[in-house]
Amino acid sequence: MPESNETLVAPAPVVDNTPLGKKLNLSGKSVIDPITRIEGHLRIEMEVEGGVVKNAWASGGLFRGMELILEGREPGDACYVAQRICGVCPVSHCHASCFAGEGAYGIQIPNNARIIRNLLEGAQFLHSHILWFYNLTGLDYVNPINALKADIADTAALGLESIKNSTPLVKALMPDWNFADTQVADFAGVKNRLEAFAANGQLSIFSGNWFDSGAGDEYKLPPELDLIATTHYLEALQMQAKASQISGILGGKMPHVMASVPGGTTFYPTEQRLDDVLFRAIEIRDWVAGTLIPDTLAVAPFYMDDFGYGRGYGKTVAWGVFDAPSRKPEDRYLPAGIVDMNKLTCKMWDEKLITEDTTHAYYDDAAGTEANPRQGITAPAWPSDGYNVNNKYSWSKSPRYEGEPLEAGPLSRVLSAYLQGNAFFKKAVDAVLQYLGVPGRVDVLVSTMGRVAARNIECLYVANLMIDWINELCAALKGGDTEFFAEPETTTGEGAGMWEAPRGAIYHYEKIKNNKIQKYQIIIPTTWNVGPRDKNGTPGPIEQALIGVPVNDMNKPIQALRTVHSFDPCIACAVHITEPKTGKKFTTVTSPWGVR
Amino acid sequence: MTTHEVTAPALTNMLEARGVTRRQFLKFCGVVAASIGLTEAAIPDIARALEIGATSGKLAPVIWLEQSSCTGCTESLAQVGSPDVATVVLELLSLNYSETLSAGAGHSVEQAKEDTINAGGYILLIEGAVMEGWDGNALRIAEEKGTDIVAHAAQNAVAVVATGSCAVDGGFCAAKPNPAGAVGVQAFLKSRGINTPVVNLPACPVNPEWIISVVVDYLLLGKLPDLDKYGRPVLIFGQTIHDNCPRRGHFENGEFVYRFGSEEEAKGYCLYPVGCKGPQTYSNCPIVRWNDGASWCVEYGAPCAGCSCANPLKAGGNWVDVNAPFQKRHRVVKIGSWITQPSTIGAIVGGFMVVALTAHGFGMKLAGRVPSGAEFEKARAWDVKHPDKALFPKTLKKDGDE
Repeated sequence: MPESNETLVAPAPVVDNTPLGKKLNLSGKSVIDPITRIEGHLRIEMEVEGGVVKNAWASGGLFRGMELILEGREPGDACYVAQRICGVCPVSHCHASCFAGEGAYGIQIPNNARIIRNLLEGAQFLHSHILWFYNLTGLDYVNPINALKADIADTAALGLESIKNSTPLVKALMPDWNFADTQVADFAGVKNRLEAFAANGQLSIFSGNWFDSGAGDEYKLPPELDLIATTHYLEALQMQAKASQISGILGGKMPHVMASVPGGTTFYPTEQRLDDVLFRAIEIRDWVAGTLIPDTLAVAPFYMDDFGYGRGYGKTVAWGVFDAPSRKPEDRYLPAGIVDMNKLTCKMWDEKLITEDTTHAYYDDAAGTEANPRQGITAPAWPSDGYNVNNKYSWSKSPRYEGEPLEAGPLSRVLSAYLQGNAFFKKAVDAVLQYLGVPGRVDVLVSTMGRVAARNIECLYVANLMIDWINELCAALKGGDTEFFAEPETTTGEGAGMWEAPRGAIYHYEKIKNNKIQKYQIIIPTTWNVGPRDKNGTPGPIEQALIGVPVNDMNKPIQALRTVHSFDPCIACAVHITEPKTGKKFTTVTSPWGVR
Repeated sequence: MTTHEVTAPALTNMLEARGVTRRQFLKFCGVVAASIGLTEAAIPDIARALEIGATSGKLAPVIWLEQSSCTGCTESLAQVGSPDVATVVLELLSLNYSETLSAGAGHSVEQAKEDTINAGGYILLIEGAVMEGWDGNALRIAEEKGTDIVAHAAQNAVAVVATGSCAVDGGFCAAKPNPAGAVGVQAFLKSRGINTPVVNLPACPVNPEWIISVVVDYLLLGKLPDLDKYGRPVLIFGQTIHDNCPRRGHFENGEFVYRFGSEEEAKGYCLYPVGCKGPQTYSNCPIVRWNDGASWCVEYGAPCAGCSCANPLKAGGNWVDVNAPFQKRHRVVKIGSWITQPSTIGAIVGGFMVVALTAHGFGMKLAGRVPSGAEFEKARAWDVKHPDKALFPKTLKKDGDE
């Protein structure tokens, strides 16, 4: 077993030859609509030239008008209704709404409620990150059908190997970690199960899969690693549910938590409630350390090319999340920061510098096309020319900071923490870069695969914090602190909640008079990422990240799909993908077993 | 019909392979049985129904459409316990189209959906409201309007399950001013003259055990569950939250929570004064609970927001418009349906219908259990006299003065 200070070395990366798309000189329009394995409805349209994306348009396909629904209601209702924006990250919406309400009420929640809010938010981060890595984006890299060819003995050996491989990293971050505690999964059992599924012959969720994208070699894992990842796909479903049970316990139910309200929490934690949370938190932390991290390190070397595209602007936004006792955004466990990776700078945000641009979004230009959200007006209008990439083409607005598009998400938070000298992220990021054979090259993280790595490092960090917070809460309770809820000081005022959802910076603003909401505005993380072009024609971050992505298959552009997924878009939050107007008909769904 | 015997070892092997113990699985079947009104004697039949598909290559095909949704109902399905969602989508059903779970994307999944529709015999689950705004352009997927997608998929389905309040009656999307023209699936299909039977499963999100129970009912008995006039399964939505609430004893004793995060909450007192809509909300939440039984709202001090209150027959019946403000006790007090509560009396005051309290409800003083009545009674009396004024403060002072 390697010592914790031993240098990590990645398995030799797979050498990629000239991309197929370049060889075939693929050119024309490529559309993915709907983008699946995300929250909501998203269309991506791309202009491809010589096997590379030259231009891209992201279109959010749904308008619900949450802000309009909230007007005239009460802050206590807003936190319940606003979280219905998103069933994946309701907790973050709830909390951003609570912070906005508390700002308007002129109060700060008691310390106990702060810790519980961190726990509840943390549980949702774990749920969301685990689900995203294995069950959503996982199928862009892992081919469960290929796992049928796996040799069981080799799989078990490889499983052990990758756990050992990751031990130095995990031990550097968790000194008490013992990889021997990790249980090796029943790979033979899962293979049997897959065989039964294959023999049954119905494709279920694998209907219309992209495993044959390009020349059929875009999925690069050996069968044994596919089997490991598939086994963990199944375990992940259980783990994300466990994390949601914590949200359920602290929030009443999940999705849509009901026990966190402006002022604090509705409940008073009893010993039994805390114990219910603690044992689940420990189980999840151990699984993240012993399974998710080793898998990340095992899969990444096969997709080294994916570190080379999907960069975007390299400018990121994080409002910060997980309040420290000071309640200052810069002191948060994941600290606030506006990062420019081109200059390696990180600065604190200023709410006044945010604007939303609706030049290319389905909103009425007469209501203005650019405003700070405090002044912004939501005036939806379907244009006479409908979806038109030269005019209006999305229900999503385009947020800008100092006039510039910024990327939001775990990468933003990790870069902010790293550049501000957070010890955990310094150690973890440096170790991963060394493992990948690119020591010191933090900029490598600003890529399709880099976002995957950043998200998973963050997952380990939050998994550890959960235990700390439970201990902190127990200590506070033992110290005799019995406050969980604060009454409003006033019922007229305004406030903004600037917080983070698992997929990025989230902003809720409300203005109330006599406890009734007069104005409500929301900027959701995915709006930052998926927004269309602005008045200057500057593409949104996902549009920009797609430029330069290789395309080896016009109908199944898997690299583009990976890139979109790397942002973990949550479109109900923001806004849907479409199919070409070329009149092109769907032809066949290729599958190993045919369609039944 | 060919009978398919499940031998104990075969079932055990099947379950072991997916990390589910036989005990867990039978417990799950028990929950399903309870939800569809069968006794424990039916558990082997349920186990068999679930097992048939896994071996015979005839898993029921399912299309899961997301309309104006937050994906919370799909997420909720992913929280189902034993068997977990992987078992559900790989071995109990053939989930041929799901925007959240499908491995494919774009053209190829749309094709898979179209093939399934053409083959027929599928169950259509719809999550999210149908959006009629801007002639259906409020929601577009694959260059089609959401409305057209729903109509096309529903036409050939054996049954439509409207999962979650949004799909039942528009849910929060239809709350005033209903900016994007949200309607429920049943009302929408009726307007298009499509007669495919609809099962309504309101709540925000849907409870995953309910979906499984409806599907099992269909697989097992070849029919849909018994439905009430709102299209809801009677056995799930036949009783109020209040009827089965573990805090009910404290309600009877006049022991209430007046402040969030208080010791009274930890003692399990009744949440009525802080806005609980349990008395008027129909659902078996206290029994089935949420997140694999880990909890439910009221257990953790959150007043029931009445999210399963949905009215597919009447616009504006959505849970947000009916139940907000959520954290205030309503002037209009309903306990169950007053048809089944004959001691309830009604009165009209200043345009508000005040359904006053039942003998065992708020008339604790009548019942003599609390000599001066519950502490919010004075405020309630004030409310009744001043229907045009604001409700008393969100959290009551202990002395209840107004």
